[in-house]
Amino acid sequence: MTTPAVLTAHGVSFAYGGDLVIESVDLTVAAGEFVAIVGPNGSGKSTLLRLLLGLLEPAAGTVEILGERPRALRDRWRVGYVPQRRILDLDVPATVTEIVASGRTARRGWWRVPSRADRDAVDHALEAVALADLHRRPVTELSGGQQQRVLIARALAAEPSVLVLDEPIAGVDVESQRLFRDSLVHLVEHHQTAVLLVSHELGAVASDLDRVIVLKRRVLFDGPPDALAATGVNLGVHADDLPRWLEELAP
Amino acid sequence: MSAAIVHACGALATLPLPWPFEREYMQLALAAGLVIGICAPLIGVFLVQQRLSLMGDGIGHLAFAGVAAGLLLEVWPIWTAMLVAVVGALAIEWLRSRGRTSSDLALALWFYGGIAAGVVLASRAGNGGLAIVPYLFGSILTIDASDVRVIAVLGVVIVAAVAVFGRALFAIVVDEESARVAGIPVGAGNALLAVLTAVTVVAAMRVVGVLLIAALMVLPVATGRVLSRSFRGTMVVSAAIGAFSVIAGLFAARQWALAPGGSIVLVAAFTFATVSLVGGRRRGGLKAVMPGTGRAEPPDHDDHGHHHG
Repeated sequence: MTTPAVLTAHGVSFAYGGDLVIESVDLTVAAGEFVAIVGPNGSGKSTLLRLLLGLLEPAAGTVEILGERPRALRDRWRVGYVPQRRILDLDVPATVTEIVASGRTARRGWWRVPSRADRDAVDHALEAVALADLHRRPVTELSGGQQQRVLIARALAAEPSVLVLDEPIAGVDVESQRLFRDSLVHLVEHHQTAVLLVSHELGAVASDLDRVIVLKRRVLFDGPPDALAATGVNLGVHADDLPRWLEELAP
Repeated sequence: MSAAIVHACGALATLPLPWPFEREYMQLALAAGLVIGICAPLIGVFLVQQRLSLMGDGIGHLAFAGVAAGLLLEVWPIWTAMLVAVVGALAIEWLRSRGRTSSDLALALWFYGGIAAGVVLASRAGNGGLAIVPYLFGSILTIDASDVRVIAVLGVVIVAAVAVFGRALFAIVVDEESARVAGIPVGAGNALLAVLTAVTVVAAMRVVGVLLIAALMVLPVATGRVLSRSFRGTMVVSAAIGAFSVIAGLFAARQWALAPGGSIVLVAAFTFATVSLVGGRRRGGLKAVMPGTGRAEPPDHDDHGHHHG
């Protein structure tokens, strides 16, 4: 592959106490690739994601984002992150624009006043997730799906090179799933952004993926959706069942 | 800018203001009170969103110990209170960031340690410890021009810090983990917020007293969040309500010979109760000031634990 790798894991393992939850995981995501990690509850998806982001240190193996160890990466804003959240947890009201603009803070320099380019990037992010009309609304007045799109727009506002999303479509309505899918495909195709989606189910994006990684503590499958389908596994199958199918197929 | 504000505060003593602010001591009280009434909610809005509404209270108790130490050592108590409050605030933040000590336990440690140390130190100071009373309950009517100047300088520091660092602090208090991933220095931001809280507490000591400081940081914000639809709007409305509470509280204190610190806080509390009852349909009015009720569910990871890096 000629496209540079933006995210790599080599032999990564991690344990909570004595309980090994990630075992010798290798993976690579290239610029402009759209990759999903699927697996059942407790398969280590979120732990792997936190290792890739540098929020956890691996017990063994190495992780690199944009050619650097996560904690050594200087321009960290180049990594967009959409956390697993059903609702935004706000005690003080904040508008859609305020939340989305906060995603630009690190890129701008956290002590600097927003420039025209910063405001344009925020507007563009709002348009990408079809929230421009609601930009003055308090976030807590939005539906769960709309709030999820606010978090995606917040990540997009920094114009990242890599976008990592944790369970972004859990509990989101069909219309929001479609808008979500459109904005991710736009990023991959027009901005060469690498998108890594960690999910319990693939929902609306299943047919747009370049690769699917099936995780259950270790990587059970890593390849294009077609190759997964060729094993006899149906991608429409709920993620809880995917590893069971693959383990039964394994020699 | 700070020199101009300090000068303005000094000059306020000569202004021909109407009753109840026609006397010099009331004008000094008004100047000091307005600085605190505006600044305390500016910091409080971040504390409320971070669910550290009682942070100001914990640091107030530490400042009390600092005042007692100053009286014992015969040093101007503002400086010893500032030293103890800033060091204590950083220690609280350090304990909190270690993750395993919960915020309320860390605060409880300082609450009781601070007040106990204050009582012990004050008992060793002269006058049977009576000199500490103005700091405990506030004594805004005995504030002199030098107090006003110190409070004004501290107020300028607070407003300038919020103007420069407010956007980063907003990103942190809304979503600490995402801010960390994005490369915002979360530890430094939280430490800055703790130090600003300590500065606010020390500036407010003579106005409402260490026992009521947290009220001026939280109650106007609790009101502001009901009336506003944005974070910035909440800051502006909260600061305006803080200023209104000071003016109305001083008015009531003069009219009916009441304790001014308590009057100011009662106005803030009454305003909150009224606004909550009338306009609180949109949001849970009491949520912001009832510790423990605002904690929303953590993100439910599919793994074995929830670790902060």
